[in-house]
Amino acid sequence: MGVLEKIVETGNYSFIDGEGVTWQEAVRLSTLPMVKSGTVSEDYYKQIVDCIEKYGPYVVFEHNIAMPHTQENATGAFKTGIGFMASKKMIDFGEDEDGEKKEANVFFTLSAANPNEHLDNIQQLMSIFMNDPLIDALAQAESPEDILEAAKKYPCEE
Amino acid sequence: MAKLDGKRVLACCANGAGSSLMMENAIKKVMDRNGIKLAELRHAPVAEGKSAARNYDIVMVAKTFVKTFDGVENDGTVLIPLKNVMSDKEIEAALKERDLLD
Repeated sequence: MGVLEKIVETGNYSFIDGEGVTWQEAVRLSTLPMVKSGTVSEDYYKQIVDCIEKYGPYVVFEHNIAMPHTQENATGAFKTGIGFMASKKMIDFGEDEDGEKKEANVFFTLSAANPNEHLDNIQQLMSIFMNDPLIDALAQAESPEDILEAAKKYPCEE
Repeated sequence: MAKLDGKRVLACCANGAGSSLMMENAIKKVMDRNGIKLAELRHAPVAEGKSAARNYDIVMVAKTFVKTFDGVENDGTVLIPLKNVMSDKEIEAALKERDLLD
């Protein structure tokens, strides 16, 4: 099973409008379904926020993709998983070290409890992140069905 | 024998779990494509990587962390900052630019 199918199966997804939502709040929102599914603790998001505040928005990649995460075996990371979130409005992460504006509308928030599973997730995510039509479709997603349809329509090459 | 054969490469990011792992994967792709056998390729959080850096021939980091590694080049380690940590193309270009890859 691919990571997108797994996200749908575990219920680790959310869809927000994003109007006026800060990046800190967006990170928290992206973990809510993960809290519900027992993947992470309620305050897990705080470690992610601390890390981004310390090092800057390096978790925002090209194509407005955010991959908020902490270290492996972080406190409150009960299971290895990915929380998907699509936001209608861009979430502002401020500027990077070069003064380049960083914003995201697709979130893949990570929790790593098992190194092998996590490595597999990362490898699959890399293929997804470089699949532009898939990311565009995921950014527009409004339901779990939309996620599955996008995965089927724009498969990643391995 | 390729220039990078037998070299030791370290990829670093804040936590050693996200972007550094992506970098490690992308580096692996570049090495496989060019038939290079590294002696070692691993990823680590910056806090650990900073002290370990001198034991590596090449250290790759996301641009954000370049300052953290100030001075490692004095020990002969090549520091390569990357804009896109999952881009094997950028890694390949950066190695060529430094004449580490033909």
